[in-house]
Amino acid sequence: MTAAAHILKANALGKQFYEPERHYVLQNNTFEVAEGELVSIYGKSGSGKSTLLYILSTLDTDFEGELLINGTQIKGQSQSFLSEFRNRNIGFVYQSHYLLNEFNVLQNVLLPALKLNTHSRAELTEKARTLLTELGMEDRLSYPVYKLSGGQQQRVAIARALINDPGLIIADEPTGNLDRKNSEMIFELFQNICKTRNTAVAIATHDDKIYNNSNKSYEMIDGSLRL
Amino acid sequence: MNIKSIKTNLFIGLQYLTARKKQSLLAMLGVLFGVTTFIVMVNFMTGVNDFLDAAVFEGSPDITISPQPDLNKVMDDLDLDLMLNPLYDLDKIEDILEASPNVRAYSKQVITPAIFISQHVQLPGAINGIEADEEKKLYDLDKRILSGRGFESFSEEGNIVLGTSLAKKLMVKTGDSLRIIIPNGNEKQFRVSGIFSFGITTIDNVRTYAPAETLRSLLEQEELITNLHVKLRDRNNIEIKETLLNRVSKIGVEDWKDNNRTIVAGNKVRDVLTWSVSFALLLVAGFGIYNIMNITVVQKRKDIAVLKTIGYKNTDIVFIFLVQSLIIGIIGALLGAAFGYAISYLISVTPLQAKDFIIVDTYPVNFKGIYYILGIFFGILTTVFAGYFPSRKASKTDPVNIIRDI
Ligand SMILES: Nc1ncnc2c1ncn2[C@@H]1O[C@H](COP(=O)(O)OP(=O)(O)OP(=O)(O)O)[C@@H](O)[C@H]1O
Ligand SMILES: [Mg+2]
Repeated sequence: MTAAAHILKANALGKQFYEPERHYVLQNNTFEVAEGELVSIYGKSGSGKSTLLYILSTLDTDFEGELLINGTQIKGQSQSFLSEFRNRNIGFVYQSHYLLNEFNVLQNVLLPALKLNTHSRAELTEKARTLLTELGMEDRLSYPVYKLSGGQQQRVAIARALINDPGLIIADEPTGNLDRKNSEMIFELFQNICKTRNTAVAIATHDDKIYNNSNKSYEMIDGSLRL
Repeated sequence: MNIKSIKTNLFIGLQYLTARKKQSLLAMLGVLFGVTTFIVMVNFMTGVNDFLDAAVFEGSPDITISPQPDLNKVMDDLDLDLMLNPLYDLDKIEDILEASPNVRAYSKQVITPAIFISQHVQLPGAINGIEADEEKKLYDLDKRILSGRGFESFSEEGNIVLGTSLAKKLMVKTGDSLRIIIPNGNEKQFRVSGIFSFGITTIDNVRTYAPAETLRSLLEQEELITNLHVKLRDRNNIEIKETLLNRVSKIGVEDWKDNNRTIVAGNKVRDVLTWSVSFALLLVAGFGIYNIMNITVVQKRKDIAVLKTIGYKNTDIVFIFLVQSLIIGIIGALLGAAFGYAISYLISVTPLQAKDFIIVDTYPVNFKGIYYILGIFFGILTTVFAGYFPSRKASKTDPVNIIRDI
């Protein structure tokens, strides 16, 4: 564990909101994820998990402290740079499967790849097909996404997060809307991803099972992380 | 933005566009309607204007020079003296006209009141006595001849050429004879050698041509010249009028505007109406698109947030939404131009029974390429403007606020 390089390092991370009044939601946090590591953040509702993940995923740049992802200093970078950086290095999975209804399963998975644009459309389609097959979605490729079940939609979202082979996946309560069986299956998927692809995963969750079976688990209490 | 990301963004934009076919179609119909109306109105109105210009100005002098500025005085004198007033200082006037580069041609006239007596009808009027060679340079009468011959018939003695409406009132055809009595009591039997139409009743009702020499001998005034008719190269430059009035005394100078005030004003009103109504229609179409795109951007807030989290930049988002209105605009404008052409064509072959003011068989319609280019250009421009602001709003969406609400 100590031998592996860190894909993510956060130091003295803080976040304050000014509405309705000035208050700290995150205070002086240290957070580290090594390559290929599965890290979970467990905490009560309102403790600050999502707020942390938005910062880690470079969507929220208004924070205090230092954030390094893949060796890149995130603070002070332009929006345009961060867009490209996210596209290449970070996959994001939300609580509600956030797929685009105008596109079918395959097209949804292709969206980040088409943006990155390092391979031909045919090659990318092949890659997406393989990925969806691994996730057990091979017979739903040209399905409209809104006709899929919750668990299936979450698998498509995971495929979309993986298509550009990012070093880090950030998942905000990915099993929050799923039943027990589907939750277990999605968590197993994440465990597999860490092992087989050496992709690090940071998951915010209410689920004890995830908390107990991660490589590393943080607990968030009132804006402070504890190992 | 490189070609590949344009292709990607175009793909996403098209996907949204085709997902709401009904709305897109409606927006496109708005542009189509705007551009069609624009083209039909401009074609038709400029057609009418050009037709009137051609009829009036091709058949009338730009500048008329006559002996006395004070017309009332002439009328009073007429009772006592039946002699016509000649233009004095003719040499001086001709020198000024010859020296002006803006004068295309001029023609000496003997214009006398007369009474026309055909077999059935008597009518008062006036005759223009002209030199065929000079008058030819002013008007292309041959183009306007309905029957018989034009100025070249004046090589034979006793020929007269009439406007079509006048001929109808007198109930004469080419070849018929026509008796003319002038104020001094002299009369002469003429032969109608040609009938013409300029397409406008103010000319076709009254104009009569005869050789100047014939009229002079009837009037018993040798070398008489009563008026000069001038055609300009640039009709809007009437400096020559001032020059003449300043340097020659005892003459009156009228320009085309004095004689055609109502037509000039009518053309202006039609111009203003055409352009303002056309642009108003395009504006309405633009508002339609603006509304639809605004609603779309609000509806697709979550999609925009997702696209941003997976790496799409602000410029990509602008492109994705702008390209939707651009496609609506391009298709709508092109179809609008086609419909505009079709409707203009139908109007141009619609028979028209107009006899009071203008004389034409069908509606006058212009078919100038530039109007189609303008229509398409402004059609697309409107949609780009209408699409730009919602698209920019879309690109400003903060993904965190939206994902938090999920
Ligand atoms: N834009 C904002 N302005 C002010 N306060 C905010 C804003 N966003 C979040 N907060 C506050 O920050 C705190 C942490 O919210 P956050 O969404 O991070 O919690 P969470 O741990 O993800 O909770 P849950 O488990 O319910 O998702 C909450 O008290 C919330 O009210
Ligand atoms: Mg949360």
